Amino acid sequence: MRQSFHVIAISVFALFLTSCEEEYIPVSSGEGPEYVVEGYLEAGDNPTPPYLILTKSFDFYGAFGPDEFNDSFVHDAEVKVSDGTLEITMQEICFFDLDSTVRELLAEQFGLNADSLTINFCVYIDLLNQLQPQAGKTYDLMIAVDGDTITSTTQIPPRVPLDSLKFEPPPGDPNDSLAQLTCYISDPAGDKNFYRYFVATNGGQLKTGFSSVEEDLFFDGKSFGFQLFNPETESGDVDPEEFGLYFVGDTVTLKWCTIDEANFDFWNTLEFAKSNQGPFSSYTRIQSNIIGGLGVWGGYSVSYYTLEVAY
Amino acid sequence: MRLFLQRTILAGFMCFMSLAGHAQARHTISGYVKDDQTGETLIGANVYLESDAKTGTVTNTYGFFSMTLPEGVHRIVVSYLGYQHHIEEVNLVSNVNLNINMVQGIEMQEVVVAAKGEEEDENVQSTSMGRVSLPIEQIKVLPALLGEVDILKTIQLLPGVSSAGEGSAGFYVRGGGADQNLVLLDEAVVYNSGHFLGFFSVFNSDAIKNTTLIKGGIPAVYGGRLSSVLDIQMKEGNNQNFQGEGGIGLISSRLTLEGPIVKGKSSFLVSGRRTYGFDLAQPFIRQTDFAGTNYFFYDLNAKMNYQFSQKDRIYLSGYFGRDVLTFAQPGRDFEFTLPYGNATATFRWNHLFTEKLFFNLSAIYNDYQFKAGFDQEEFNFDIFSGVRDFTAKFDFDYFPSNDHQVKTGIHATKHRLTPNIIRGSAGDTEFENTATAKYANEYAIYIQDDWKINPWFRVNLGLRGTLFQQTGPYTSGINGEVYETGEVVQTYSSLEPRIFINTTLNPNASIKAGVTSTTQYLHLVSNSSSTLPADVWVPSSEIVKPQRGWQYAAGYFQNIRRGMYEASIEAYYKSLQDQIDYRESYVDNSVDQVENEFVFGSGEAYGLEFFIRKNSGKLNGWIGYTLSRTDRTFPDIENGRTYPTTYDRTHDLSFVSNYNISPKLIAGVVFVYATGKSYTPPERVYLIDGELQTDYGPRNSQRLEPYHRLDLSLTWIPNPTSKKNFTSEWVFSVYNAYNRQNTFFLYTDYETDLQSGTAEVKAYKVSIFPILPSVTWNFKFK
Repeated sequence: MRQSFHVIAISVFALFLTSCEEEYIPVSSGEGPEYVVEGYLEAGDNPTPPYLILTKSFDFYGAFGPDEFNDSFVHDAEVKVSDGTLEITMQEICFFDLDSTVRELLAEQFGLNADSLTINFCVYIDLLNQLQPQAGKTYDLMIAVDGDTITSTTQIPPRVPLDSLKFEPPPGDPNDSLAQLTCYISDPAGDKNFYRYFVATNGGQLKTGFSSVEEDLFFDGKSFGFQLFNPETESGDVDPEEFGLYFVGDTVTLKWCTIDEANFDFWNTLEFAKSNQGPFSSYTRIQSNIIGGLGVWGGYSVSYYTLEVAY
Repeated sequence: MRLFLQRTILAGFMCFMSLAGHAQARHTISGYVKDDQTGETLIGANVYLESDAKTGTVTNTYGFFSMTLPEGVHRIVVSYLGYQHHIEEVNLVSNVNLNINMVQGIEMQEVVVAAKGEEEDENVQSTSMGRVSLPIEQIKVLPALLGEVDILKTIQLLPGVSSAGEGSAGFYVRGGGADQNLVLLDEAVVYNSGHFLGFFSVFNSDAIKNTTLIKGGIPAVYGGRLSSVLDIQMKEGNNQNFQGEGGIGLISSRLTLEGPIVKGKSSFLVSGRRTYGFDLAQPFIRQTDFAGTNYFFYDLNAKMNYQFSQKDRIYLSGYFGRDVLTFAQPGRDFEFTLPYGNATATFRWNHLFTEKLFFNLSAIYNDYQFKAGFDQEEFNFDIFSGVRDFTAKFDFDYFPSNDHQVKTGIHATKHRLTPNIIRGSAGDTEFENTATAKYANEYAIYIQDDWKINPWFRVNLGLRGTLFQQTGPYTSGINGEVYETGEVVQTYSSLEPRIFINTTLNPNASIKAGVTSTTQYLHLVSNSSSTLPADVWVPSSEIVKPQRGWQYAAGYFQNIRRGMYEASIEAYYKSLQDQIDYRESYVDNSVDQVENEFVFGSGEAYGLEFFIRKNSGKLNGWIGYTLSRTDRTFPDIENGRTYPTTYDRTHDLSFVSNYNISPKLIAGVVFVYATGKSYTPPERVYLIDGELQTDYGPRNSQRLEPYHRLDLSLTWIPNPTSKKNFTSEWVFSVYNAYNRQNTFFLYTDYETDLQSGTAEVKAYKVSIFPILPSVTWNFKFK
């Protein structure tokens, strides 16, 4: 609501006031960097093996190059994951240490070109997929590095697949080259359910839009249809007429996930913090489920759907 | 037992009557003080004996006074800022009704400010503290943003009052929150006093008679807010002659009509204002993809009164205002509508039981509604919020003797507060959130006595008792208990002592001190840097406790050169309990009961205020300076670290002046300087999902650069002595005359390219109001 209000407010200003902006350098309190965790566990369709990226934050302000990025990766950490009965230790692998085939696969996963990549990405990964995450289980994370301890917990909730999905003509003026995606779901009654979605077009990288998470407070226990925006059209360069719509003839892959509340809170605050800039806005602190650092440790119950944009 | 009761009652009655003192050979002079041209009653006029200025009184909110004197001949002086002194000789052999018609002091259309006499230094002699009245004529000649004369922006120029932001009509008083100001229009609470995201106030200056800000010693007659009272009275309407006035400006146009219904007995006033910038742009907007987009706001004030007899008169007044925004994108079949605004209605009956006992009954209705609607093909939803009150007030002014002025009364209000209720549909499926309207009853009983103990010592003793009940229908969010309509869910009560003393050092100087206890049962919590119309008022409930505050203040007051100058130094300390804020990482998804997102803490504010005002002569105005600190501590925010509020200003200086260059020309100058707003700095960035995210440092730990601005105005009256039925003037204003780039907001911008391994992080500050000239044409006719 407030986001919409701010958009309107900014538009109104833009119409008849001349604003002026200039760059400024905020004063840092010099508290130093924090550990940043970005780790995922997937259950359900075609799950990605559990992996975790461990970095350090940068001071705010300035330009960063490959050296700064490479230096931000935290190496030689002991990263353990436990589901209560099984505990595994993730292995650190770095991009430049991989053979070219694996490197290509990994680069594709992140939507990058392996040949010209200048950052030596390092991840901690359950290489042998010993953990095999399952819906309904809770996974504890324990990281020990340089005398510091970082912990977190996530639950992979039960999978809630979509009932169906279809493309329809866009609202408003007739346009036979664009389509909107309508999904239908039966939300389980009683429990709080949280969802996140990704979209890939024509076999490309899975992407998220400005608002990729939703909770079921409005539609708890209901079966209903809703529109899912195309994240590909949400960048600033896209014609507003195409915003959120899909292009007829493309092949779209939708990754539909059920997540836990802490994971939802992280992405919800992250996306709100990004969009909630401008007049009247106050800062939003991203709500992390990491103790001893920033970031997210998230479990996903995943469903995939691939279909051609047509109606 | 019965005998005991009778004796007790008799003793009490005797004791009460003794307040009247020497009843024998003393009689009461009572009546109303009015403007002779318009019949408007004058609030706060001084009425005193020419031979002994210490014997006197002040007219109340309805222009009524009562004074009891020994039998004999007395010369009564009546004075009021901007009017010629009126002297009336009275041979007092019995009680007398005396209605005084005051003549304006200087034959000029512009601001009229006359010197005061020593004897009428009310600001020195009275027990009131932190109280400033601003005549609307003085406000009208000051520079205004885009030519829109604005009461709320003018009160921000007083010490102890800070602005919510660049161009904003929102204000904070002595470190209190935006919701801690009781804003009254003819006694009706105005819950949202801003138009256009708060850039303009809802008060049309043409319809306003008097504005009083009480920032310190809030008398017991007022309650319900912690920090201040802004009491605005609408004009009653000219009961002598029909007249009109209006103006055409860059933003809006205004028209006010007033006149007698029955000459001398009854009058009416109708006043309207509407903006039209987007209406004029419609031919261009229709050619774009946003055809149908429009925005305007309007205000309508109306008032009438009727005097049935010397003892009875009624007033009926109302206000209706709306902001209406429509954002349309027909090509996407999309429409967003945003109507919101206030409606108030006040009925008042003044009745004089005796020459010493004045009674007022007020029946008040006020309704603030906010609605936002989204509509696209089969998907639509609406958000509603607002506050609706019904209030009854029974107030008595009792003048037992010249040494006592007693006010007492009972107030009762029935509240309905609508949080963000969302209803919508997607195709055949309807959905709504869990929010429901909340109901509450609020009662208050008060008594206060302004007591002149001796010529050099006065005390104002007040006590206000309040009771607040949250009522059903309601389902407890804690234990699921269901409450039926009217059933009490939660009860809170409070006893609020108000004590103010005045020690007069000499006729021109005094020392005052006061203690004010206040309780606030309705709360507005904002997650924005300023309050917005979408912010929701919530009642005290089983989750939310009342906010409570204590304010201690002391000051030295001095008048110089027979009141030509008035000066004061006031120090205050304010302690605030059960303050409310949103929890950290709050996201406004508008889906849940907003109270579930609150955290509770405490606050304190303290400061020194310096004020010097020149009241007369060609050059008049004031300088106000405040040195202050205000902070908050919430156990659930940053582990209880104490932090300054966003409206904490260490230094706040205002210079306000107008100069009558000639009868045809008046120049106005406003200069403001304030310590920069505090803000929460971005501290570090980190990579998530291939993009940089921001991590913020401690709350409000950095400050923007200082805010300063100069505004100028020139009012040109082509024919100041014209006796014609139609006269006009031009007001030229320049806002931000030296084009200071004051920061309005900050934002951050990132560019990340993982492929090349580069990223750039930048922060920008945005200022919105450059130098802004404006012109307004005002006219009057009769």
